[in-house]
Amino acid sequence: MSLELNEISKNFKDDKVLDRVSLYVPEGKTLVLFGPSGAGKTVLLRLISGVIEPDEGHIKISGMDVDGVEPEDRNIGMAFQNFALFPHMDAHANIASPLTAQKKDKSAIQAGVQGLAKLLKIDHVLKHKPKELSNGQKQRTALARALAGKPKILLLDDPLRNVDAKLRFEMRLELPNLLYEQNATVIYVTQDYKEAMAFGDQIAVINGGVIQQIGTPEAIYLTPANVEIARLFGDPVINLLDVTLQKDASGVFALISEKRIDLDASYASVVGLECCLGIRPESVLFVDRDHKSAVPVTVEAETPLNEKTVNLCLTARGREIMASRPSGTQGPAGGEAFVAIEAASAMIFDKQTGALIETNSTDISERGKVT
Amino acid sequence: MNDVILNLEAVDKFYGPIDQGVHAVCNISMQVSSGEIIALLGSSGCGKTSTLRMVAGFEDVSRGKISIRGREIHTLPPIQRNVAMAFEGYSLYPTVTVRDNIAFALKRGKLPAADVARKVEDIAAMLEISDILDKYPSSISGGQQQRASLGRALIRDADLYLLDEPMGQLEPQLRTLLRGRIKSYIKEHGFTAILVTHDQTEANALADRIAVMEDGKLQQFASPEAIKKSPANLFTGTFVGEPPMNVFPALVNISEATVTFKLESDVQLTYALDAFSTELRARLATVGEVVLGVRPYAVERRQTGSPATVVANQWLGDQSHIAANFAGGSIVLVEHDRTHLEKGQKIFIHLEPSNIHIFNPATGIAISHGARLVG
Repeated sequence: MSLELNEISKNFKDDKVLDRVSLYVPEGKTLVLFGPSGAGKTVLLRLISGVIEPDEGHIKISGMDVDGVEPEDRNIGMAFQNFALFPHMDAHANIASPLTAQKKDKSAIQAGVQGLAKLLKIDHVLKHKPKELSNGQKQRTALARALAGKPKILLLDDPLRNVDAKLRFEMRLELPNLLYEQNATVIYVTQDYKEAMAFGDQIAVINGGVIQQIGTPEAIYLTPANVEIARLFGDPVINLLDVTLQKDASGVFALISEKRIDLDASYASVVGLECCLGIRPESVLFVDRDHKSAVPVTVEAETPLNEKTVNLCLTARGREIMASRPSGTQGPAGGEAFVAIEAASAMIFDKQTGALIETNSTDISERGKVT
Repeated sequence: MNDVILNLEAVDKFYGPIDQGVHAVCNISMQVSSGEIIALLGSSGCGKTSTLRMVAGFEDVSRGKISIRGREIHTLPPIQRNVAMAFEGYSLYPTVTVRDNIAFALKRGKLPAADVARKVEDIAAMLEISDILDKYPSSISGGQQQRASLGRALIRDADLYLLDEPMGQLEPQLRTLLRGRIKSYIKEHGFTAILVTHDQTEANALADRIAVMEDGKLQQFASPEAIKKSPANLFTGTFVGEPPMNVFPALVNISEATVTFKLESDVQLTYALDAFSTELRARLATVGEVVLGVRPYAVERRQTGSPATVVANQWLGDQSHIAANFAGGSIVLVEHDRTHLEKGQKIFIHLEPSNIHIFNPATGIAISHGARLVG
């Protein structure tokens, strides 16, 4: 079943929490809804589930308008943040409840519950009542219950939020496979960009009740629509350097510490404009002094970041540049070093508006596609 | 440089009666040298915060001794310990501005007012709170309060700086930026600091040495590199490292020419005898059963090797995380390039002896790292 949102708006009193939101999730695909707290993510899920009604716009499931259809008739499974487990039932009974409602036989219920409980590492607490479970366990019980009934549409509100790093990683690998096997159409809410990239066929970035960008993980990471989105994806955070693009006989360029960063000719239209050059830390490379675009820097700090090593560098004029590389690879030789910026990976943003300046070389085919 | 600033000797913490109540911290001994940054790392309930609170003086020591610069302090009130603290709940003074909160510790000293003002401005700039210096604590966000409290601690001159989840409330981007700056600041000033965190990324980034705790016990106390290269036991091995270390139970068989590890589902890893040191082979011959550990980034894909089937391939921008069915379980690989592997695709795994950690399955204690016997 596909899910479609058409120009949905919602106000609470004078507060516009959703402003003409349109989304389309094809059958069996996962759309990640990514954004800061207060962006409108949870409200959107509540609208889809039918708990609240939109002020404007339409929600369609498999092309059929569900306006006025009761929540229980929408065939939607949900795992929300407030858990909402049945307090008088143990975890097993909670997970089994959609199967019991479907009048499945006992052995099918048993197999269904055990399989999910094992996957979500809660098989040892199935006899516990909700109040005896930790927050992370409650969350996974709610997730197991949502999955148990194999609903055609699943709404998952940050289901791994309270889960520790190790388990979170395991879930990140296993949950997408399970969702794929169930052929579920999923909206998955998270604030963790790695989870967003791992889970999403498409990612919708929402902020202030407005969808800012929809695209594949690749499109969001490589061609973020604005500075804010660029900053939300990637660790360490993207470097943003103020530049004014210039042009001479040999082409368009930006200057960083008097060194030329040659840019695509299609940036010619924004020569003279105050811009931000965005460069991901993994695209800042340590090079020799005689490299053509070697920018001299002082290496201020070196910190390991999981399997990467991050160097904080300062240019002569005091600009901070972060460089990250796989641990164990060649780093700066000493306190004084040279970095090169891979021009092909550079993004140019309008400093005033923060919007990405698009060029011929940017593959924007996936960006902003509201199908 | 090697002056001992902090010394914990066989420290126990019981909540409730000694030897009967909850044993939150078990017999911890550690020494922290001048200029070191130490991270106490563990999951919730591991005893890390209790340990820090005993050093600060917010919790009684049930047994053992704590001294700072050779002076026993564990019976002194917090104010007499000459430690600077940024604690959750160790709140800002509500009736004065952020600026006065931060300056408070300095005003009691003898610095000229202009110097105080400059120092406050500098530290506020470092912590990205220059714009809220004239606000009152009640009108700023939790993350801003946390940074103000951190500024108030770091501006002081103290023997020891105690920071409890100092960046817990900050958004990820700011956290990364401040990590680097705070480390530089502490190092420039030659401060000695202890940081409590559950976030291994933060511990790795900031600390000279990490004290890994679990169940109230110190599991390992070593540099981030040493913990990564030579985890003392299975707990440390699988807790520190993201993605977590791959582990496989195995049976060892040493023949005249080879060392073979028999994993589940009839996967056999066979190596030349001399790939493992003589001492290690002698030891392996006595144990028979082991647990093998290999970090995801040390798993190699080759043209030949043990077969595995890809079940997931996730690209996270600057690395790919690949999971594959292997030896009756799964194995995770990290590659730094974008890897185009499809679900269901066959790959061949090679585990190089120099990347293998071997643990005792009964005790969890490490037997070898990189084909060399521990110790």
